[in-house]
Amino acid sequence: MDLLSEFAETFTIYSLCEYAVTLEFDDEIAAKTLDRIVRFNTQLNEHPFDGFRTTVPAYTTLSVFFDPIQVMQSSQLRGINCFQRVSDYLKELRYMPGKTAAYPSNAVTIPICYGGEFGPDLDEVAHRNGLTPAEVVQQHSTALYHVYLIGFTPGFPYLGGLPQQLATPRKPTPRPLVPHGSVGIAGKQTGIYPQDTPGGWQIIGRTPLPLFDATNRPPARLKAGDQVVFQPISPEQFYTNS
Amino acid sequence: MQIRIDKAGMLSTVQDLGRPGYLSQGVPVSGAMDRLSARIANQALGNDMHAAVIEFAYGGAVFRAERDLLIAYSGEGALLEADSRHLPSDRPIFVPKGTEIRLMDTSKGCHTYLAIAGGWDVPEVLESRSTYLPAGIGGVQGRALCKGDVLKAADTPSARTRQLFNRLISDAINYPNWGIARWLLLPADRRVVRIVPAQEFTWFEGQSVVDFLSAPFRITPQSNRMGYRLEGPPMRSRTKRELLSTAVVPGTVQVTGDGKLILLMADSQTTGGYPRIAQIAAVDMPLCAQFKPGDEIFFREISRNDAEKLYLHQEERLKKLSLAWGMDERMNL
Repeated sequence: MDLLSEFAETFTIYSLCEYAVTLEFDDEIAAKTLDRIVRFNTQLNEHPFDGFRTTVPAYTTLSVFFDPIQVMQSSQLRGINCFQRVSDYLKELRYMPGKTAAYPSNAVTIPICYGGEFGPDLDEVAHRNGLTPAEVVQQHSTALYHVYLIGFTPGFPYLGGLPQQLATPRKPTPRPLVPHGSVGIAGKQTGIYPQDTPGGWQIIGRTPLPLFDATNRPPARLKAGDQVVFQPISPEQFYTNS
Repeated sequence: MQIRIDKAGMLSTVQDLGRPGYLSQGVPVSGAMDRLSARIANQALGNDMHAAVIEFAYGGAVFRAERDLLIAYSGEGALLEADSRHLPSDRPIFVPKGTEIRLMDTSKGCHTYLAIAGGWDVPEVLESRSTYLPAGIGGVQGRALCKGDVLKAADTPSARTRQLFNRLISDAINYPNWGIARWLLLPADRRVVRIVPAQEFTWFEGQSVVDFLSAPFRITPQSNRMGYRLEGPPMRSRTKRELLSTAVVPGTVQVTGDGKLILLMADSQTTGGYPRIAQIAAVDMPLCAQFKPGDEIFFREISRNDAEKLYLHQEERLKKLSLAWGMDERMNL
């Protein structure tokens, strides 16, 4: 048995396509899994291999994108094909000492105006869970959330940490247009729509804070691993801030 | 060099090879649906392969040369015509100021790419000129081209491009008698798409897998730059497992809750939660980009290693092509 293995990260690797592999860390959503993915992602970005392009963190996976030509031309990587070359590098990277003490995560406060025209489904979420709308707001705005991934549309954060009492299934028919800034609930997740798009999540409020701006670097306000809290605001505050 | 759009056509957008650097921000890679044709159109002019091109869906668009132009086009959605005269694809074409050019429908494919000497000059957004309509970014103000739009070429053509222009400049439309043999870079059977089984392939029943690899699937009208919905035998899952959202890419074939297939294309979302039955071999994505609603296609399985070899081989051929293109003394212009 490998002496180092008990300290090393564990994951399985599969091929996503010619220019990407996916590392699978676990098979269920957990804060600890998110933490492992974020740490390994940081490690990889600090020690990129020849041809490394970018990564996409998700609930239990980290996908690693690369340029196959550069990977095959690299003298740093060994193996008869891209998949082997990249996989072997990533497996070895597990043993490399990293700056595991801290990784750059932010705590972000997001103002939300709950209910009314901003949250047309607040009453339904309350009703389905045997709560009053005020109790939903109170619970939703006192929990601490983690950004598990950014996906679906540019800047859309999938947040874990929703109080169990607020879990609500998606709407049976998606709305043709959900205004940008809308904060929704789908099952045990909560998330925020950065653009006007169709969507089936239960909308309980809206934030005036832009979550995606193509002129910013990075363009998305949030990233996987960030911590999020929601702060209730009044409609007046919403309009002053938007 | 400058053109004015007189008729926009069904969907015309500025694209390049996309913005792969912002996937973790939820930004799709976008770019040309048929990257091979976009690259060939650029290559015919001596442009950088990342230069911006105009992607046209089908025929119908009309544009006018407001200055002398050096253009090239490639793809299968339309043939270019000037003064009722057909212009050949996959080669540089000199077009004098004032010429009106029309895109005429073909029944062959869907997308056509128009390159111009130096590339189309639109601002870069997140390191790419590709238009991504749902977020309104890239291209011309983040939108599809409209009647009246004026597009200019970047005024930094390569030495090779300037050389081509100087050789072809004339009073009338002028082009060499050679072109890039695009068809040599594509498989002979255009209805068969090669796939590699994806991570959730084994979630599906044996009969479904047999159907997947033998039955025809039809492209439905619910198809766009994000993806195609396919009609065919339903894929039945053997498991109640649900997939947690994870990265997907153009070419990923997803199976929805009711057993239907979705083939993700250039504007594919970055993550998805439907089980993935297959991944299209990257070299066959240009074929997929030319499918139209109503087309019937078949999937054929190859190994991951073969898909990778095909990809590397294709890139090698494209590299050799661009080297050969540099040796212009032998091109007999």
